Amino acid sequence: MNAWWRCLSGVILRENLRFFHQKGRFFGTLVRPLVWLLVFAAGFRAALGVSIIPPYETYITYEVYILPGLVGMVQLFNGMQNSLSIVYDTEMGSMRILLTSPLPRWWLLVSKLLAGVSVSFFQVYAFLGFAYLFGIEMPPMGYLSTIPALLLNGLMLGSLGLLLSSKIRQLENFAGVMNFVVFPLFFISSALYPLWKMRESSEFLYYLCAFNPFTHGVEMIRFALYSHFNATGVGWVLLATVVFLTLALRGYRPERGLSRKRGE
Amino acid sequence: MPIAIVRHFALALLLTPPVLFADTVYVTNEKDNTVSVIDFDTLKVVNTFSVGQRPRGIALSPDNKILYVCVSDDDAIRAFDVENLEPLYDLPSGENPETFVLSPSGDRIYTSNESDNIVTVIDTSRRSVLNQIDVGVEPEGVAISPDGKIMINTSETTNMAHWIDTETFQIFENSLVGQRPRDAAFDLDGRRLWVTAEIGGTVSVFDTASYEQIIELKFKIKGIRQDRVQPVGLYLTRDGKLAFFALGPANHVAVVDAQTYEVLDYLLVGRRVWKLAPTADEKFLLTTNGVSGDVSIIDIENMKVIKSIKVGRFPWGVAVHE
Amino acid sequence: MNQPVLSADTVSYQYGGDAALDEVSLELVSGTFTALLGPNGAGKTTLISLICHLIETRQGSIRICGHDVRTAPIPALQQIGIVFQQPTLDLDLSVHQNLHYFAALRGMPRNKATRQINIEIERLEIGDIVNKTVRQLNGGHRRRVEIARALLHEPALLLLDEPTVGLDIPTRQQFVAYAHSLARERDVCVLWASHLIDEVDPGNDNLLILHQGKLCANGPADKVMREHSCDRLTDVYIKLTGERGS
Repeated sequence: MNAWWRCLSGVILRENLRFFHQKGRFFGTLVRPLVWLLVFAAGFRAALGVSIIPPYETYITYEVYILPGLVGMVQLFNGMQNSLSIVYDTEMGSMRILLTSPLPRWWLLVSKLLAGVSVSFFQVYAFLGFAYLFGIEMPPMGYLSTIPALLLNGLMLGSLGLLLSSKIRQLENFAGVMNFVVFPLFFISSALYPLWKMRESSEFLYYLCAFNPFTHGVEMIRFALYSHFNATGVGWVLLATVVFLTLALRGYRPERGLSRKRGE
Repeated sequence: MPIAIVRHFALALLLTPPVLFADTVYVTNEKDNTVSVIDFDTLKVVNTFSVGQRPRGIALSPDNKILYVCVSDDDAIRAFDVENLEPLYDLPSGENPETFVLSPSGDRIYTSNESDNIVTVIDTSRRSVLNQIDVGVEPEGVAISPDGKIMINTSETTNMAHWIDTETFQIFENSLVGQRPRDAAFDLDGRRLWVTAEIGGTVSVFDTASYEQIIELKFKIKGIRQDRVQPVGLYLTRDGKLAFFALGPANHVAVVDAQTYEVLDYLLVGRRVWKLAPTADEKFLLTTNGVSGDVSIIDIENMKVIKSIKVGRFPWGVAVHE
Repeated sequence: MNQPVLSADTVSYQYGGDAALDEVSLELVSGTFTALLGPNGAGKTTLISLICHLIETRQGSIRICGHDVRTAPIPALQQIGIVFQQPTLDLDLSVHQNLHYFAALRGMPRNKATRQINIEIERLEIGDIVNKTVRQLNGGHRRRVEIARALLHEPALLLLDEPTVGLDIPTRQQFVAYAHSLARERDVCVLWASHLIDEVDPGNDNLLILHQGKLCANGPADKVMREHSCDRLTDVYIKLTGERGS
């Protein structure tokens, strides 16, 4: 068991070291949600003062509304970045170093996943810190009670990334995947508009959003930021994580080989 | 450390912060002809009772025993027993009373009769009209100085605040204010008078010694059209440090530093925020939000809206009983 | 005779319909240096991937120190150290960080890892570069770090897949000599995949030649030369593969 734990902490340390060496990446992960928050959301200040939905107790500004969605976005992009780095590692060979470790392969992959989630924590809290400085404050306890939700949401999105990396093993195909996965997940969700508002515009869109696991990840974080437990969200996210992870681990079974391209 | 965090999370799920206030809040619902009673302990509506047609202005007697409600379409100010919320009697308010103010001792009520261009003065113990004062066109807001010697009435069309001597019932000064003045209030030390103007979008502050205007406040909220910023209800804290203004269809309450006149913040509340009233300990300020049909609670110290509670249709006035 | 470190029994592997390996059987013991030669596409990388369980053996079986790679991959992998063809170090991490990462992957306790790292660093004379990032190192040093890494956990079997690609000639010679010394002095079983014939020491090394997935030579290099009545290894190679080695 000790060996498992040492392996996990080693992978986490490596991913974090790598992340902090890539200053551009850190900057990029912060700029994206901050632009949404400060440029896009600022124009919609009063647009949401129409209805009070849980977990909110009163009327909120749009900036407050989209904060959990942007936290989800940070984790979504991190999950994809992680999957991209797995594809890159596979092409470069360092994935072989990981996979030839004398530990069960699923644990090696889960370690890689958790390492990605740990990197997303830095990103999320840096973002929340900036949001706080710009006056978008959450209840103090919320910053703590969100940790489990971030872990779960990170695992779900990381598993999705791992699944994608098991299917797409060439870097050049990745941009297309980002377009087909990241953008629908983000836009057809409750990140930018509440579900009831989606329903007003289209019943079909509403059902798509309600089915989207990212919606539930965002809602789970939204509730957690107010120290509320969102059972539906947690349930959906757990289910999606199990499905994504199972498929991803199947994709990485040794009988499938590591590279699509013929070896040599 | 991770265990501590988990425990923290678990506690956060289980515990809600203890609530230490025990005030009772009364809110008039203009379109439901009722008053909603909110228990400030649980922040829930515990009772709703019928009061008469089109209830608007509401206030408690200084001894907290009688609840007065303007029932505008019944042309009366109705008195209720706070103990059992039973109607006691009607006061002769004149036609269509909208809002009123009690004298500091509670012996008089001043109310404006909009279509008659008068202010009616009622003797609350004899339950009779003491005087009727001719004022400007469409009188609206009424305010009383802390010593009870000056009564202010604002007239919507004349755009004036009339200063009235409560001994002689004579107007002794008129001050021009913004368009359609709605409400007025004195500081607790009586040195300044604040008048809100709905269409003008301004608040005029006067020196009560010289009757001169000190400043005219204007508001500007990012993302909200200027013509929707319509100051109506107001509240001045007892220490003279803060002033709150309900900005009507702007759906925000402005918080102003009463010393520097700087706007400190705009707090998002429900739609068409109308009147304001504090809790007894002055820790919270309640707002009535007409269109969204709820009451928002502002944490005064932290300048944050903590909760909104559904009441009846078109809540108008609010009074708090310790 | 000791238990073989590596044994393969009629191992075949196909990508789609193409046979990459065709009934390969071999046995390697400790303290030996075995060169695995073959042109590009002969199946060298496939064989190495099968040995280190990157791909699953479907036909035949591979054992490392008696552990079947398919049914008991974990004890089998514990006995293997690998230097892959591609560079697998993290460029922005220091040599130390890279080595510690690998030790953690092997589940090595921190103090044991530090001890082993110091031993390997000393042995390879790379003490002056441990705090540099890999990006700052030249190709020869990078390879040395990789071989240090592969030896950290004292494996019985050391796999090297085309390890000298991209190195200049003196560095290459040094590297070849070092790998030979490992077999001699540390009793490691070294399997060296290459297409460079001059890296083989005809007097001491074992020779495996793969051609189109088939093992067409298997035994001590001098014996193989005798069997094919050739004086030079190059001639054996050309005879068996039809290609000119380099």
